[in-house]
Amino acid sequence: MSPAPAPTDNDKKTMTLSHHLSDALIVDYASGSMGRAQSLVVATHLHACAACRGRVAQAEAVGGALLEEIASTPLAPDALDRALARIERPREAAAPEAAAGHARQPADWISVPVEVAEAAARRRWVAPGVWVAPVDVGSGDGALTYLLRVGQGMRMPQHTHAGCELTLVLKGAFDDAGVRFGPGDISEADDAVEHSPVIAAGQECVCLVACDNRLIVKDWLGRVVQAYAGI
Amino acid sequence: MGGVSEVMTQTRADDPAALIVAVATRGDRDAFALLFEHFAPRVKSYMLRLGAPPETAEELAQECLLTVWRKATLFDPARAGASTWIFAIARNLRIDAVRRQRRPRFEDDPTDEPAPEPPADAIAFAAERDVRLREAMRELPPDQAEVIRRSFFQDKAHSEIARELSLPLGTVKSRLRLALARLRGLVGDLA
Repeated sequence: MSPAPAPTDNDKKTMTLSHHLSDALIVDYASGSMGRAQSLVVATHLHACAACRGRVAQAEAVGGALLEEIASTPLAPDALDRALARIERPREAAAPEAAAGHARQPADWISVPVEVAEAAARRRWVAPGVWVAPVDVGSGDGALTYLLRVGQGMRMPQHTHAGCELTLVLKGAFDDAGVRFGPGDISEADDAVEHSPVIAAGQECVCLVACDNRLIVKDWLGRVVQAYAGI
Repeated sequence: MGGVSEVMTQTRADDPAALIVAVATRGDRDAFALLFEHFAPRVKSYMLRLGAPPETAEELAQECLLTVWRKATLFDPARAGASTWIFAIARNLRIDAVRRQRRPRFEDDPTDEPAPEPPADAIAFAAERDVRLREAMRELPPDQAEVIRRSFFQDKAHSEIARELSLPLGTVKSRLRLALARLRGLVGDLA
């Protein structure tokens, strides 16, 4: 049993967010039914948002209740003995949580998962002021996640959706139909939405985007981004 | 002495949160055995329902309970009931093993900090909360219960549920919202 480390300063992570996860996404994530592409974005929001972490905990309690209700399936007769034998052995060394020497994320982004930080090194400029960097999620189901950087005052590629798209601001801000999205805010768009958010003045905007399906991109910039990001 | 500890074991048998705390604080093997008997067969069912082959389901149930032993010090009864905590372990194991995904990892994870010593009444409160929640789940309107079950036991995201039931996305979303709102009032703030 290792001694408890000194309490960390969680307050600094408690930023004020305006745009949170829908209950549908909370349930998808808590139940484990959400695919890898969206999970990355949702986990990144959760890391920044104690309120949504609490909501996930509530939804997980539903999973706990269902686990109690489910009928039992007997294990092999020696299952408990095997488990006890395994806990008698010296504690298996815990695998290191993250490999040493991985890419560090840019200091002015909100905290991102390790694989997202690594993806930033693969950025490709695709138009003046715009770069994209695909995040390898290995999902193989047509879903994809990518980083998108758009310079201040520019317009994001105009598109509609053939599915659900999540956009999380890592740095900077954008306005979508008069609504401001800042760091940590998440925007959920589905089939019905056609939008073209504008980057706020002052600084670049970097977003982590996940789609469970290919975008239907409408303008030239979108098509360029799509071609280079493989989206 | 023997009589006292027997009585204690009996009282704790239906209080899994206390059993996990016993594992965490003194490596109590009897408490672990009770947890195993109760949860391993349920975790196996959960894995089977979600499509794991029987051998994999058995192995994942083993692995889940071994994780309970190893991570018992991280269990915080003020934040989650025992079955909720074990569900989350089982869910993550399934995602790793069956879908070959990992939950995203951060260099610093705010949810991964060891739990403080639970206050004396936290365990009783957690147990009561779980009972209330199970009752409320049984009373959910069928259309809400349906989407919850598909989400947790059929590995369907809400967009897939909408497609399968031929419902507009907004209908599925609002059923999930109503279901959570109803349960939220009962389980309180778990942040």
